[in-house]
Formats: sequence, C-alpha cells, structure tokens
Amino acid sequence: MIDQDAVLDRFARAVEDGHGALTDLDQHSGDGDFGDNLRAGVRHAVGLAERGPRRGFAALGEVFLDEVGGTSGPLLGLLFTEIARALTTAHGATGASGPADDDLAALASGARAGLTAIQRVGEAEEGDRTLVDALAPAVAALGRDGYAAAATAAREGAERTAELTARHGRASYLGERAKGAQDPGAVGVALLFWTIATVAEPGADLPSPLPAAA
Amino acid sequence: MTGPPPRARMIGSMPFPFHPAGDDPVPAAVRGFSRAHADLVELHEDPIHVVARHRAPGRRVGLVSGGGSGHEPLHAGFLGRGMLDAVAPGPVFTSPHNKAVLHASRAAAGPAGVIHVVKNYTGDRINFGIAAERLRMEGVDVGRVLVDDDLATDGLDTATGRRGTGATVVVEKILGAAADTGAGLDELTALGTDVAAASRSLAVASRAQTSARTGEPAFALDGELDYGVGIHGERARASIPRPPTEELVARMLDELVAGLPDGPDDCVLVVNGMGATTLLELYVLAELASAGLTERGLTRAGLLVGTFVPALDMAGFSLTLTRMQPSWKDHWAAPAETAAFPRRTEETR
Repeated sequence: MIDQDAVLDRFARAVEDGHGALTDLDQHSGDGDFGDNLRAGVRHAVGLAERGPRRGFAALGEVFLDEVGGTSGPLLGLLFTEIARALTTAHGATGASGPADDDLAALASGARAGLTAIQRVGEAEEGDRTLVDALAPAVAALGRDGYAAAATAAREGAERTAELTARHGRASYLGERAKGAQDPGAVGVALLFWTIATVAEPGADLPSPLPAAA
Repeated sequence: MTGPPPRARMIGSMPFPFHPAGDDPVPAAVRGFSRAHADLVELHEDPIHVVARHRAPGRRVGLVSGGGSGHEPLHAGFLGRGMLDAVAPGPVFTSPHNKAVLHASRAAAGPAGVIHVVKNYTGDRINFGIAAERLRMEGVDVGRVLVDDDLATDGLDTATGRRGTGATVVVEKILGAAADTGAGLDELTALGTDVAAASRSLAVASRAQTSARTGEPAFALDGELDYGVGIHGERARASIPRPPTEELVARMLDELVAGLPDGPDDCVLVVNGMGATTLLELYVLAELASAGLTERGLTRAGLLVGTFVPALDMAGFSLTLTRMQPSWKDHWAAPAETAAFPRRTEETR
C-alpha cells in the first residue's frame, strides 16, 4: 500500500535536505536553478495538497506542469501526472490504496507512461546525460523487481551520468566540461524513487542518492 | 545637484524608448493588439493567450501557434478566419510556458483536434510538446507541424536542425485555408509538413536589433552585412562587405534555389522586413527578386511583401521561397480575415 501523502511529505523533506547538493550539481553543469526550482515546486505542492482535493502525485503534477520554470520541472510534471493517473485508474479518485500488488503495478505503468511522454517531448535517449538516465532503468526495475530495485537502479543510473557527455539541455553547451558531476535532473529522479521505496518498504535500508554537498 | 534623480536614470536606461514602466512590453502590447482588433480576436490573461473570434463553419481542426515575442505581427496578426485559431505569445525571444500553449489549444481545438505550428527552436519544441502531452491526457488529438526553413542553419553539424523563420507565414496561410475545407488532422499535419519542407529562407542584416540589456545594437557590423542572420539576432557564420543590392539579391536567390528540394517551378516569394527596413526598400527588393525568379526559369505563384517576421528593430530583410504544388495555390489565394495578412493576394486581385 503506497501512502501518497507520506510520499509527498518524505519527498519534500528529501528535497529540502538535498537542495544544497542539487544546486552544486546544477552550478557545475547548468544554470544553477534546479535545486531552487525543485524545492519551490515541492513546497507549493505540499500547500496545494493540504488545501485539497488534489493529493500526492496529482498535486506534484499540477504544480510542476503549471508553475515550475525551466524545462526539467515541467518534464518531471509529466512523470508525476502519469503516476497520479495510473494510481487513480487503479483505485478510483478517492486516493484510497488497494492491495500492494495493484499499487506496484499501477506505479510501474504510470512511471512507464511518464518516461514515454518525457522522451517524446525531450527527444532524449539513455546515455544523453539527462533525467532519462535515472528514470529508464528505474522504470525497468520497478515492474520487474519492485521498489527497492527501482531505487537502486535510479541511483546507479544517476551516478553513471557523471561520466556522460550531454547532447540536450544547457549542459550540452559545456560538452566534456560537464563531466565529473552527476546530472541534477537524474539525481532528482533518483531521489523520488528512493522516497517511494522508503515509504513503500519502511524496513529497507537504502543509501540516499544525494552526493555530499561541496 | 548631486546627480540625476532616480526616475530620470531609470528612463535613460530603458533600451527601447517607448516600453512601459517595468520594461516588459509584452502584456501591454498584447492588450493593445487585442483592443485594436477586437472584431477579430479575444484576449485571455493568466496565462496570456489570444483567440480568434471567427472560424469557418467547416473547420474541424483548430490551428495554434506561438513563440517568443519580438517578431510582430507573428503570430497574433495571423489570427482569424482562414488562418490561426489561437496563439500563445511568450516573453521577448523566449518560448511561451506550456500552460499558455495548453490554454490556447483548449480554446482552439475542433472536433478533430488541434495542430501546433512550431518554429524549430528547442524551447518551443519542449513547451509545445509538454502541452501536447497534456492535451492527449485530456483526450484531444494533437498534430505538430515543425517549420524549419532557414537555409543558413542547413547542414550544420548539430542535432537541432534548421531554424524556423519566414516560411511560418506561408505554412500558416496554406494550412489555414486547407483547414477551412474541413480536412482532418493527419491530412493537415502532412500538408503543413510538406509546405515547410518545400520552403527555404535566408536573412541578412545591416544593423543588429537593439539589445534589451545594453540599449546598443546586439552586435556591431561596421558597414558589413551579417549574411544568414537569425530572427533572434543569432550571428551568421559570415559577415560580408556590402555588395550592390542587385548582386545581393542574386546571390540569395541562387543559394535559395540550390538549397530547395526539387519540386514545381511555381514559387511563392516572401520579401520580409526584419523590423527597421522601410517598405520603400522592401518593394525595391520585391521587384529585384521577382525579376530574378523569372531569370532562373521559375514562375511566381504569389508575392508577399511586408514586415511579417522581424527581429525587433533589426535592419535587414529575408527572402523565402516555397515551391508550390498545384493543389496549394487555391489555399494561398483564399482570403484571410486577419490583422496582418493582406486579405487579397495579387492572384485574387
């Protein structure tokens, strides 16, 4: 049973904790605003969820699509929205959680739809040093091996971006110079799957995907 | 006196002398445009989008465009019966937010869906793309016509492809008239894509547009021409000494004809001002380019002269050639009830 309110709260805390590290990463490879954008979006989503009726992933989706600037924010909004849609389809609009297997299947299909939409819009493949490098392996692992495996696959995918050269986004202007640090969008995605796993399987002891802030 | 008062300093620092206080001209300009053409369009704010009041009763697919501002009359000037149904103007030289495109598309969508006419820039592709995904979630069918006509960016070693420039007007005109016949989404998407593929443009600047940051020209030309300039002042690969106008037009036509894919000899020619070039000059250029087409064995299916896709106040012009399939000619000649497209082309007389 996945508690969407708990996911949102835990994700908000993780993003607050990770703000410095994400900002450092984006100053290395982008324009430095990813940590700010992610934190502002998550804070706004928490407020929206408290006012209702949208909760959890639906609140995240609406805020990241409508309010967050830059390009990676709205792309994440597509992922949140597709997950929210899949969970709603599985359990109805009340947000009530059903059997755990149904949740996992719905989350996996929503994340897969989100990945498809993000790739259609962003035209990025695995290996292009984008958030797809964390999301694609996480989606594959989620449907096959469950929450913890998805969190691990996302973290490892994000770690691999440190050795990749960007073809899209602002990091593409830097070429080889962006190497050495992970892509902040990929780390953000890894943080999301880490959050989902720690909520869904409280016993699992998963390492945080956040690199130490410089 | 210890120096100028703050207000005088602020006004003195404004790069464009007639921008409003706060210096973001887009919201006020969109309101002014909508007021001036209230018979044609309806303004919506938060997020800003503009919707045509009238559409042909047979039109089943809504046409939406948009992009950064600074290219007026593009795109709002082409709202109206026979052309576009809704537009999302972004900040100057900056893509509109996906939310504005989404709202414009909801307002425009017909029973057979909506088509996005997108100039090929990364920001526009992503923001229109996100809006398209959201529309699909809402059950709206979405097509995309990507305009990528700029010859100066042809063959560059990049995945981004050619920029979208002057041919946007030709695509929006032909697509609009075809949509009025009741054509469906796939047919119109294919048509728009074909028109874009049959079009090439080339632009030159004799003076850069004013930089909003410094108030000075965005780049210095020292009497030369930037040959292959972009509509946001993207520098060309080369500056050239100013040739006589006849030679310049001949060189541009030669390159355009060489760069166009094979197709009919019948061409639409667009002579477009970049913002600060006089109509007197544009008509001179139209006359020279028209004669040049004939010399190259091409016939003229249409001639459009004016400032349609400028780069703020850049001095310069672009030439666009579109090789016209016979079935496109009626669409080109059909009347368009918009603020900026001449209602009658020369062929309808």
